[in-house]
Amino acid sequence: MTTYSDLELDALRELANIGSGTAATALSQMLGRSIDVSVPKAAALPLAEAVASVGEPELVVVGVVLQVFGDLPGLAVLLFTERDADRVCELLGVEPSTEFATSALQEIGNILCASYLGAIVSMVGLDLQPGPPQIACDMLGSIVESVLLANAATTDIALLLDSDIRIEGEGSAVQFMLIPSDEGVSSLLARLGLGG
Amino acid sequence: MVRMGELAVSRSSGDVLVALGLGSCIGLVLVDRAKSIVGLAHVMLPDSSSSPNAPRMKFADHAVPELIRKTVALGTSPLHLQAFLVGGAKMFSFGGSSLDVGARNEEATLAQLEKHRIRVAGKVTAGTSGRTVRVHVDGPRVLCKEAGGQEKELQAA
Repeated sequence: MTTYSDLELDALRELANIGSGTAATALSQMLGRSIDVSVPKAAALPLAEAVASVGEPELVVVGVVLQVFGDLPGLAVLLFTERDADRVCELLGVEPSTEFATSALQEIGNILCASYLGAIVSMVGLDLQPGPPQIACDMLGSIVESVLLANAATTDIALLLDSDIRIEGEGSAVQFMLIPSDEGVSSLLARLGLGG
Repeated sequence: MVRMGELAVSRSSGDVLVALGLGSCIGLVLVDRAKSIVGLAHVMLPDSSSSPNAPRMKFADHAVPELIRKTVALGTSPLHLQAFLVGGAKMFSFGGSSLDVGARNEEATLAQLEKHRIRVAGKVTAGTSGRTVRVHVDGPRVLCKEAGGQEKELQAA
């Protein structure tokens, strides 16, 4: 079972902070709105607790999921409430709940993920590429669970880097999560001069 | 509440076992109708052979026999148990492989049930939708709900 020290979690939180800050700037340019980012949460949780830490399991949300390849393999997940997904589409001038809305939300996933990872790449010099976005509108628990299963065979602990990206004046938000696999995190921490 | 990789059993009137938001996991329900004994396991992965150091209840090959053992310990026998399966959806495809965890979970769970000679009375599996399963000791009743949908009772086939 992998555990992380407070110092390691702090370092990961800082990385998430830089990633989500950059992602927020990109979103701000897309939407023409100011964006607020909260201090990200970095938590290593037993799988049984991980879903509830993300949100209400039965809440219906729109999830955009991208696989991350390279030195820090894992998954990136964006979660919108249905209302916020519609609002983001409106801000982009796309009619909500249409095919165009689906591809607009996937594109937001692309851009946020690419800028988030780009910031980490330029800071620590890792090689990281996002895969194509996949989208689902379903119960939060089902989406998060399916994502966590991708790493679950080898670990009982899920490492979640969880950022809340809020659109100012709209009361709308995107939850952006990076869920790296264990092996990637060890090499990342080693590169930062921690762990190993 | 039965969370990922956990299981629970009950014969106390008023108890409800629930697994919220199952994606590719399987909610395995065991029911003894006559004695109102129920069990629920939240199975995450098909088998533990690739991770021998983690003999955990998240794997079908451990969780299913353990759920049977605990349910039977409440005073029934495998002969009187009916099984219901909920979940095993394919919500995303990762890795470009044909690896469909939901389908493999279902297959592994069914194989374990067959090995222990437990009859499968009903299932709501596969597809792309997440599901919640609630098991009421009273009845006993097994209820399944999909996102935004109505709760439906699973009837024994």
